[in-house]
Amino acid sequence: MPSRTVIYGSSGRLRRLILVMVLLFLEGSVLTLGAASSNHYSPTPAHSDSHNAQNQSSQHREKAFPVLDFNYNGVKTPFEIALWVLLASLMKLGFHLIPHLSNIVPESCLLITVGLLVGGIIKFAGEEVPPVMDSRLFFLCLLPPIILDAGYFLPIRPFMENLGTILIFAVVGTLWNAFFVGGLLYAVCQIRPENPSFLHQIGLLQCLLFGSIISAVDPVAVLAVFEEIHINELLHILVFGESLLNDAVTVVLYHLFEEFAGIGTVTWLNGFLGVISFLVVALGGVLIGAIYGILAAFTSRFSSHTRVIEPLFVFVYSYMAYLSAEMFHLSGIMALIACGAVMRPYMEANISHKSHTTIKYFLKMWSSVSETLIFIFLGVATVAGPHSWNWTFVTVTVILCLLARVIGVVGLTYIINKVRIVKLTTKDQFIIAYGGLRGAIAFSLGFLLDKKHFPERELFLTAIITVIFFTVFVQGMTIKPLVELLAVKKKQEAKRSINEEIHTQFLDHLLTGIEDICGHYGHHHWKDKLNRFNKKYVKKWLIAGERSKEPQLIAFYHKMEMKQAIQLVESGGGLKLPATPSTVSMQNIQPRKPAPAKPAERALPQLPKNREEEIRKILRTNLQRTRQRLRSYNRHTLVVDPYEDGLSDLLIKKQKMLEIEKKIKEMNKYLTVPAPPPDSPTMCRARLASDPQAYNVKPVSDKVPVIQVDLASPQSPDSVNLLDEFGQANQQQQEEEQGLMMKPPLRPGEPNKPGEADGAKDQQKLMRCLSDPGPSADEDEDEAFLP
Amino acid sequence: MGSSSSSLNKIPNAQELMQETGFSAAHLLRLYERFEWLDRDNRGNLSPEDFEALGGLAMNPIGGRIICAFFSPGQDTMDFPSFVRILAHFRPTDRHRNKGGTQQELPNSRNRKLKFAFQLYDMDRDGKISREELLQVLRAMLGLQVTEEQLQSIAERAIKEADLDKDDAISFEEFKKSLEKVNIEEKMSIGFLQ
Repeated sequence: MPSRTVIYGSSGRLRRLILVMVLLFLEGSVLTLGAASSNHYSPTPAHSDSHNAQNQSSQHREKAFPVLDFNYNGVKTPFEIALWVLLASLMKLGFHLIPHLSNIVPESCLLITVGLLVGGIIKFAGEEVPPVMDSRLFFLCLLPPIILDAGYFLPIRPFMENLGTILIFAVVGTLWNAFFVGGLLYAVCQIRPENPSFLHQIGLLQCLLFGSIISAVDPVAVLAVFEEIHINELLHILVFGESLLNDAVTVVLYHLFEEFAGIGTVTWLNGFLGVISFLVVALGGVLIGAIYGILAAFTSRFSSHTRVIEPLFVFVYSYMAYLSAEMFHLSGIMALIACGAVMRPYMEANISHKSHTTIKYFLKMWSSVSETLIFIFLGVATVAGPHSWNWTFVTVTVILCLLARVIGVVGLTYIINKVRIVKLTTKDQFIIAYGGLRGAIAFSLGFLLDKKHFPERELFLTAIITVIFFTVFVQGMTIKPLVELLAVKKKQEAKRSINEEIHTQFLDHLLTGIEDICGHYGHHHWKDKLNRFNKKYVKKWLIAGERSKEPQLIAFYHKMEMKQAIQLVESGGGLKLPATPSTVSMQNIQPRKPAPAKPAERALPQLPKNREEEIRKILRTNLQRTRQRLRSYNRHTLVVDPYEDGLSDLLIKKQKMLEIEKKIKEMNKYLTVPAPPPDSPTMCRARLASDPQAYNVKPVSDKVPVIQVDLASPQSPDSVNLLDEFGQANQQQQEEEQGLMMKPPLRPGEPNKPGEADGAKDQQKLMRCLSDPGPSADEDEDEAFLP
Repeated sequence: MGSSSSSLNKIPNAQELMQETGFSAAHLLRLYERFEWLDRDNRGNLSPEDFEALGGLAMNPIGGRIICAFFSPGQDTMDFPSFVRILAHFRPTDRHRNKGGTQQELPNSRNRKLKFAFQLYDMDRDGKISREELLQVLRAMLGLQVTEEQLQSIAERAIKEADLDKDDAISFEEFKKSLEKVNIEEKMSIGFLQ
């Protein structure tokens, strides 16, 4: 295996470029090895390693004990899977290292290109390209994570508000597309009867089936492309919602035409049954998803003692919903979406903050890997073939698809605009039409076709791939400049303020009232009814304990405060001193004693020089204590999460801190003591975390109440990297503290990690952790259930 | 057309109302029917009791405020034109209507909608939402489920966020600013009234 050489000291760009080239080379060789090994078990593949030589030599002698052995078959399948996943991830890494590439070309295009390359390499090496785009693999393993990710973080409010529009686009639009493309293709195939060609044998039903496969907008492709262009929420949810909901239509049409393609005709009865079947598929899928979602929410109600496996429930229940729906030939995608959307508000009320972070990160990770793999496999499968190219068929297909989409969108918008309050403009229509990308689902459905019933399967596959390539490459690459050109409204900064929340709820009530006065049972009326029902019955069952009564506004408020606290820490600034004496309570929400109103103001003017020193000393000691605490993190002794319980105090205090902050700035003019090392993140964490009774108490007292706050936030998942910057061992202080948190077993006598040198490096690590942007779905967290 | 024009004659100043509010004849008629339905004792005008008879409004946390908003301060009754004028605020905004045409602002413009909402907060009509008024609204919406401290914190934070001139109250301009990202035209519109 070629080893990686890292070059120090040369210019950054050169280094990156070399790294990328090495990565590419590495993958190429790795994959060839994988492909090669899978096909030959003989000990001489192209890049065999030394183990084989050993083996051979030992074979020549008599039966000596094999010191080294080589057994590939035992680990074959997992090994290959791991290789592919590794390839996908390394590619993702590589793309973002190349400076401007990701701005110009969307990731999906790059990935398909890589897939093509890899397929090409494998073919060139003389090996048989592995049939990676197995439909079963796709539908059972690759697709669910992406859909679950989309469903769990679906912004419910805009989705519900535009549900009518989305449904019309999804159902009527897809039907129109399918029949238009299928019908016209059939007509085109039938022309030129004097020159009978292969095309004439394609029956109407086959064409219609092809039409239905190719007409569905693909959620994976849409997600991949739209995520990078950041258009406004309305358009995003319209196209994306459509891509999700048209799955039901596709399923029904596909099965309908597939069943009857063998027979050759479709009677009216069967057609009618098809319509019924559509309702069953759609509603059944949603129902199954909702049932599993409620089950999951109910399960999570009791999980307060086993926090570690909470994320598992989300994944398993959702996957089972998907599989159950697929079992009955219902729409698995809709089941998955329904499950995620239904369970989310209740789950979030029940699970711990860490579980929430885990779920979020896992979903993003899996969906990201899945998406990457899907596109790479598309590329490989393209190389693998088999293909059957026919100019007429393919070009007509592409043109018809575009045409059908445009006509469909324009026509439907005309009708929809009569009923909508906020009309869709021409620009909107253009983006919706242009964003109708096709993707891997179409390909997999085509792959599933039986060769016996569909002799023209290869032709179909070629056409499907061409359409996919066209939409992903041409439309995917040009949509970003077009969006800029047309000055389409972009996504706004998603920070929702508390004012907006209050006023939005207020307006909801207002509108409900007005609707009552008008005697009109509109949108708001039903929403209000649903909310009431939810509050009265459902929440009681599905949310554990106290939180079931927590009104939405409060939950929102807490979330906001928490976020702001985290932000404050990250910005590394502001908080020079902690605030009021702590009134530590173990309750989740309600503080028992209200903190005295702005005591800091009273205390502050008297702050003498040495007092600040004392405070700083306290902070230091608490810092060390925090570090020791986090050291042993045995999963069985995962203690009561200190973060959650200290949360309420954190929030209240933080407010006061903000006020003090300003006053401190003034105070600092009078104090000549230099401030602590400016705004190192750890110091800020310490300040936020520890809360000694600074003003009233002797510094090194044994009654320093400490709130250990494990600030494991989504932005900084790696809180264990907390460093001890000052390195002064203050071990006697450890016994004295009386934090209210249970400590994980402290290994006795363990010295603190030595200070400065370590500290600098750790600090860098920490800064990196804190600067991790993470998945960008933060704003989605603010969406409340039917707000 | 004959029947509807004669029905329109029932409504005093129908043409003026339509001009002023932008409602079509059909809508005006519908609203008139509703008005008559609400007016139980056929007095020709509405009183607060008529509104309170509506069940939904009784359950609404801000139902009382809404009712008050319909009646001008000091008055106890409301006639049809006032009824229509208030409801005109909730017509969906027509994006393409040319702005230069009408002299005065239509009641369903964004500004007027916000003004109406603002007046619901600002019960004493002094042009500002004071902390106490905000607390009252919060109390009404959140009921007994929260403690006083939480209400205080929320109100505190809300005022801090919105209050730009630091007078510890939210003026109309600040109110507008805090809602600039919200799609008011959509939120405060009832399709029925289009």
